[in-house]
Amino acid sequence: MEFYTCLKKKRPVRLCEKTRLFAYRSLNHKYGLETLKTPYVSLDHIKNYEKMSDIEKYNCAIYEIATKAPIRICDGEMISGAATLANAINHQLPAIYKDEKKTASSGVSHLTVDFFEVLKIGMDKIREKCEISLENHQDAYKREFLKSCIHCIDCMKLWHTRYIEALSKKQGYENVINNLKQVPFKPARNFYEAVQSVWFCFAFLRLCGVWPGIGRIDVLFGKYLNEDLQKNKITIDGAREILAHFFIKGCEWITGKEVGSGDAQHYQNIILSGIDEDGNDVTNLVTYLVLDIIEETGISDFPTTVRINKNTKSDLLKRVCEVIQYGGGVVAIYNEDLILESLSCMGYPEKEARSFGNDGCWEVQIPGKTCFSYIPFDGLKILQYITLDEYSNNVSFDNFNSLYNKYLSDLQSHIDFIFKTRVLSKFDDNFNFKKEYPCSVVSLFEQSCIERGLSYKEGGAIYNVESPHIGGLPDVVNSLYAIKKLVFDEKKISFSEFMSVLKNNWQGEEELRNYVQKKYIYYGNDNDEIDDIATHLLDAFSDMVCKYDKKTPIRYVSGVSTFGRQIEWAQARYATPFGRKKGDVLSGNLSSTPGTNFNGVSAMIKSYCKANLKKQYTGAALDVSFIPSNIQSDNAISALSGFIKAFVHLGGYFMQIDTVDNKVLLDAQKHPENYQNLSVRVSGWNARFVTMNKEWQDMIIEKNK
Amino acid sequence: MKANIFEIEKNSFVDGPGIRTTVFFKGCNLKCKWCHNPESQSASFQIMHYKNNCIGCQKCKEVCKYEKCVLCGKCVDVCLSGARKVCGKEYSVKEVFSHILKDSLFYEMSNGGVTFSGGECMLNIEFLEEILKMCKDKKIHTAVDTAGNVPWQYFERIMPYTDMFLYDIKAFSEKLHIEGTGVSNKLIKQNLKKLSQTFSGDIIIRIPVICSFNATLSEMKKIARFLGKIKYKKIELLEYHSMGEHKYDALDMKFTKFDALDEETLDMCRLVLGLNKK
Repeated sequence: MEFYTCLKKKRPVRLCEKTRLFAYRSLNHKYGLETLKTPYVSLDHIKNYEKMSDIEKYNCAIYEIATKAPIRICDGEMISGAATLANAINHQLPAIYKDEKKTASSGVSHLTVDFFEVLKIGMDKIREKCEISLENHQDAYKREFLKSCIHCIDCMKLWHTRYIEALSKKQGYENVINNLKQVPFKPARNFYEAVQSVWFCFAFLRLCGVWPGIGRIDVLFGKYLNEDLQKNKITIDGAREILAHFFIKGCEWITGKEVGSGDAQHYQNIILSGIDEDGNDVTNLVTYLVLDIIEETGISDFPTTVRINKNTKSDLLKRVCEVIQYGGGVVAIYNEDLILESLSCMGYPEKEARSFGNDGCWEVQIPGKTCFSYIPFDGLKILQYITLDEYSNNVSFDNFNSLYNKYLSDLQSHIDFIFKTRVLSKFDDNFNFKKEYPCSVVSLFEQSCIERGLSYKEGGAIYNVESPHIGGLPDVVNSLYAIKKLVFDEKKISFSEFMSVLKNNWQGEEELRNYVQKKYIYYGNDNDEIDDIATHLLDAFSDMVCKYDKKTPIRYVSGVSTFGRQIEWAQARYATPFGRKKGDVLSGNLSSTPGTNFNGVSAMIKSYCKANLKKQYTGAALDVSFIPSNIQSDNAISALSGFIKAFVHLGGYFMQIDTVDNKVLLDAQKHPENYQNLSVRVSGWNARFVTMNKEWQDMIIEKNK
Repeated sequence: MKANIFEIEKNSFVDGPGIRTTVFFKGCNLKCKWCHNPESQSASFQIMHYKNNCIGCQKCKEVCKYEKCVLCGKCVDVCLSGARKVCGKEYSVKEVFSHILKDSLFYEMSNGGVTFSGGECMLNIEFLEEILKMCKDKKIHTAVDTAGNVPWQYFERIMPYTDMFLYDIKAFSEKLHIEGTGVSNKLIKQNLKKLSQTFSGDIIIRIPVICSFNATLSEMKKIARFLGKIKYKKIELLEYHSMGEHKYDALDMKFTKFDALDEETLDMCRLVLGLNKK
């Protein structure tokens, strides 16, 4: 029984054999396949269902899920609760009426909920809060929402009772039963209860089609573990076993089935380390236990981001690098210094900013307080379709500035359009949020929803953020640069001739194509001349977006991402001025276009960091990968640490580092059966390589070249 | 002052500590049969022709006006398939230094630096001395990768500006050394002894492990005995690989294939040299 790694050396063994076997089975689809057996609970038998309001339908669905979803108790599990309905894996509320394809509600994601409150006061107290709020609100719609919240807690209790009953019929689960008698309805009193409490709520949320991030797990559990250790109530090894069960249970949706962009992307991001509200380092034993577990099992289902700042202790950085070395792309890096600066520019109070988490992927938000979504768009398509009018002869530019300025104005028009369609459309005439589909379950874990009597989606959250994310920016910059050099600086070809070349997909122009590919140094190579264009364009983009910020109750701020959309975008894109043909898969996130970096990771980091990244308020990701054989040596740890420290020093935002060998990936395409647990970093998530379709696999391979 | 350099490799993790930039000089006075960088041997420019990449377009032939190659590079300019490449480029000290400086933050953050390698970088002693001085001025950690077959005075010249030597030992027995590299190792051994007595920085001994050359019990024992008198920081074994084969082909040079190494042989070498098993 071994856990896959790309390295020659084996992963260390710290967990007991039973826990390792549990992990092994879970990773090899045992529970995922079981989950697939029951897609949803039926609502067919509900009388008058069709005449019900949306929230009534939703309430029925939650009740049926809580009372009918299969109960699963895995052999020897130390914590209980399981999301056993398969439609939830597909981001749906898994309860269906007759042949209605759509349920009364869809899934909710892109948030990290507040698990601190349930640990501190328990669900019973949260129920009391609902009742108090109900007394305070007269509005019928709000009252219906609050009643739904109470109903959902009661349903959770039914589900909870079913688990206690089922566990009681089995031998050896006394500890689990004792814990469940306390949590999550009453406050957690120790580490073990705390882990169970969060897991139980997390599993219930997931069972109801909500995919929350976990957030700062070391802050959640660290205090409890320290107290228990002081009282000699637990050992470090014992705590590691309990926490490992949290991770292993989180593998219960692994099915091994192909899902296009890969499995395991349920936005369950974990954040480690960083500073607390008062500026003190939060790093504690839980931080290290999480790293131990990832290192040993290779579980990649909880993408983990470590908040690194200029004062991060070298032993933590060393541990992070040791885990990165084993591959799988599980652990990524936030530059905490820059992000705190960025959040403070956005206007968040300092203490709140310091609590930052993400949407379960890597877009930064204030957890438990934020309703967030991002709006992706292809910046290259705007250049090709609008600015250059599909390379027709209708447009012409006689200098670089006029071309560049035209692009900026086309970009602004698109951002104006998004604002109208995605932000203004959310409000009625009085700037109140329009009605949305019900989402009471998630609203229980988001601050202020209960007090306001408004659901998470309808203005209940403290902050609402919509963030246009530009994609393909490096390709836009490379395109503009190639035109600048070839047409305006060197005058090798006229503008209109060049447009024809591009329209014809470089046909018969191999020599020219070779020239633009080889002679110019593109974004990602630490070349100031082109990096300045990227920097300027990013700043301009941010300003374009932010001019609408604070104009409505929804914050409107910029970010940069593609999340693999470069694959689908490739279909519509034309040939590019920097020598790529139609259909080529180009740059991901804010990383260099595949095949254009000739100066190594350090140059890539420098190019990326030249931009004023704190103005990309919800984030801008850099993807970096190393070949395992290059980073096997002991020296690799100091080299990897060096890259991370330089990244923080130079003002990076978010960096995801994978360790992967294309030879192995090519072999995995041929023999998927041998690589069931080979995980790769995709974007804000990891996926098992063999569960991706060919296009996505090829994108990963290209990116590593 | 210029030197012929065939590669400036950024982000190297294998030629000394931390993140490094490795500068490969062209030209070597050893001709190791197992050399995996055959393009490093000749000090002049070379045109490499990767036949696998060639699409047979004949453009290189059309453009060539000479009977014997004068290294004008025209055939490379017209090659669209990447089959033809010029190996080697003249750099001034300043140019090389500006490449090195680009990553100075990365050296600082990883305790890395710059490594001068080759070929035999010490054959360009003037150039090397100059650039080492410049690096030292900027407090950049410097390593010199050498086979040691150069006059002792060369070492004396660069020692003040060098933090680390990566010193290759290929064989102890002189006869064997001549057989494998074409030169005697008398000077190499002498220089290492002197270096070990006078150099205050780190010496890392690097031994290429080659089957049916030095990967034998008797030869390794001799090397170990010799190294017993030397003061060094550590020994690194460079495992033989045949990945340079395509470059021999591209240069029309004869490739000698050695047997692949097995773990047992490697373990034997490690044991004899007192290195820990992996």
